Amino acid sequence: MAMAALRREGRRFAPLVSSPNPINAIRSTLAPAEEQMGLGVRSISTQVVRNRMKSVRNIQKITKAMKMVAASKLRAIQVRAENSRGLWQPFTALLGDTPSVNVKKNVIVTISSDKGLCGGINSTSVKISRALHKINSGPDTECKYVILGEKGKAQLIRDSKKDIELIMTELQKNFLNYTQVSVLADDILKNVEFDALRIVFNKFQSVVSFLPTTATVLSPEIVERESEAGGKIGDLDSYEIEGGETKSEVLQNLAEFQFSCVMFNAVLENACSEQGARMSAMDSSSRNAGDMLDRLTLTYNRTRQASITTELIEIISGASALEG
Amino acid sequence: MTLNLCVLTPNRIVWDSEVKEIILSTNSGQIGVLPNHAPIATAVDIGILRIRLNDQWLMMALMGGFARIGNNEITVLVNDAEKSSDIDPQEAQQTLEIAEAALRKAEGKRQKIEANLALRRAKTRVEAINGIS
Repeated sequence: MAMAALRREGRRFAPLVSSPNPINAIRSTLAPAEEQMGLGVRSISTQVVRNRMKSVRNIQKITKAMKMVAASKLRAIQVRAENSRGLWQPFTALLGDTPSVNVKKNVIVTISSDKGLCGGINSTSVKISRALHKINSGPDTECKYVILGEKGKAQLIRDSKKDIELIMTELQKNFLNYTQVSVLADDILKNVEFDALRIVFNKFQSVVSFLPTTATVLSPEIVERESEAGGKIGDLDSYEIEGGETKSEVLQNLAEFQFSCVMFNAVLENACSEQGARMSAMDSSSRNAGDMLDRLTLTYNRTRQASITTELIEIISGASALEG
Repeated sequence: MTLNLCVLTPNRIVWDSEVKEIILSTNSGQIGVLPNHAPIATAVDIGILRIRLNDQWLMMALMGGFARIGNNEITVLVNDAEKSSDIDPQEAQQTLEIAEAALRKAEGKRQKIEANLALRRAKTRVEAINGIS
């Protein structure tokens, strides 16, 4: 039995066996330890710990790779997001962004990601959408959802199923471009009645900070009403509107164009935030896996040394029993 | 007194500097804009934007959008814009021919409208190049 144990461990214990004198002292202290471990625990526990280490190491490699992929995707899309920021600013300067506008029909457009493992950005978007919904649903106002992205859909479909008008997923399968988003915007404008559209997305401030933001786009009738009432949009009246038969036709074109520009920017910013959040989530994942691996290595070494000691005890007690 | 012109598309900023005068085509005709123009917000048609810097005229092909003019600041937001120097004459001519062929083959109202738009876009690009000479 001792030789089989030796072969299993692949170590040489011959020099130790030949000097029985110090062993008697060790035997008394280690005997309780042997009892604690119990039967059949010796080399099997190292196997278990080793398996665990292997799987944690694999996970660490995967999360490291995911982090690098997210970093490269972020670089590509960040440039485009920054270029598209200049597009909606003239609209806001002209028409204003008034989230406090009081309208009857609100539509909340929630932009979320399709894939998971991206930190908490989808949950924050959904939380804000729900809050907006609560604020804006009263006795004579109604509030509907339009959802872009699988993760938002999964969360909102559970409790607000009857309020959802339109769901669109898998936006990022094809390369995101303005034509695609303008078709989407067209879809929404045709199928959903609204007085005000509130787009909820995560704005990309930097690689570690993503701010949930809402952008408000008003329908042309409301724009006319607000501009006549004065206030922030009152400046619109100082501009003479040309091009097209009537002022309302131009305003409608303007509102539609504004919506598609704002949507384009929102979708790009959300995609940036998704990649950034995934990068930091995978980074902390890899670090956690590294910590776990350190702890498991310590446990493994302790288990290994304990099993060696048990073997030693067995051999030596066997040897001393033989001697007499 | 110079005008500050900004031409923006969803993908990038095409032009952002000072000019002396521009000629813009809108739905209701072409308008010329000089410094101290009255504030105006207008829809821009698929057509050519002419820019004058000192005594030289530059052409740009615009594919529809909006323009806001006020306080000597002009902001033009379009779906797409190309400077005439960036357009390849051969390729523009080919696109024009393809668009014409598509229009002839188009059936049904929707296809005809789309083919018409494509044709106008192609024509604008060709005009932008030829206009210089």
